[in-house]
Amino acid sequence: MIQLEDLNKIPILSSLEEKTKNAFAERTYRHKLHAGSTLLIEGDPADACYFIASGHFRVLHMNPEGRIQVLARLTPGSPINLISLLNQEKVNLGTVEALTTANVLVLSAYDFEFLLSHFLDFSKTLLFVFAERLKNMTQLAAELSLYTVKARLARFLMDLADTRQIFDNWTQDEIAAQIGTVRDVVGRLLREFENQGFIKRDRHQILLLDRKGLTEIANQIT
Amino acid sequence: MMNKLLPKIDLNRCDRCGVCITACPENALLLTDHGPIINAPHLCTYCTTCEEVCPQKAIRTPLTVVWAPIN
Repeated sequence: MIQLEDLNKIPILSSLEEKTKNAFAERTYRHKLHAGSTLLIEGDPADACYFIASGHFRVLHMNPEGRIQVLARLTPGSPINLISLLNQEKVNLGTVEALTTANVLVLSAYDFEFLLSHFLDFSKTLLFVFAERLKNMTQLAAELSLYTVKARLARFLMDLADTRQIFDNWTQDEIAAQIGTVRDVVGRLLREFENQGFIKRDRHQILLLDRKGLTEIANQIT
Repeated sequence: MMNKLLPKIDLNRCDRCGVCITACPENALLLTDHGPIINAPHLCTYCTTCEEVCPQKAIRTPLTVVWAPIN
């Protein structure tokens, strides 16, 4: 059984009432994943949700040609697959991959329903999660529809450099999946940025040189 | 002793097509029975061409993004 101390380390669960935590702990178990392994496959039946105890994940959607769009990157504490369980079709709405070695707490669909209907604080906590997810998806939709690929790449590079993210090792393929394009385009645009003096490549580092210039590009709308 | 970052090759994904070998502008790669290896690491400039051409996405050249230090 999961210990209460473990739940207290997960921010969205730590604020639950003691009886809710006990009910949650009785119904969950721990599952370990290695970096690169797949937790969920889009379209498969949704039979559980997960709470990240440690590690990082990405949620992605793949079109029939194999092109990937990353929908979200999830950090410790984040729940996974809640919306799929509440959706009437009960299928996984995205594929979820572990980016690092990770541990999740697994809660079956049946027990999820039980907790939702018996523990108001659990339901309210998840509502806040949904609100945050909806906000993020709205921002993503706006990014993809309002800005050019070049603008999205400039925004992405500046965001990475400004926030010093944990995932600081990005391949061009991963950058492409994040900004909704393909690897070739990312490679071409990085060369273009370099030729224009906005960035400099120094082996594995992309050095951003010109914030004003990159900001102007970042505001180019479609 | 060389201690510079080099492309990472996943031999489990590699189908030994050899595209990376011919694409490498520095001739730093060699195709062996087990797949490509970085035979001449001192020649590798980390230009990321090998990653770009690999049809199996078996080569990773991760990048870190930082602001350039202000002089």
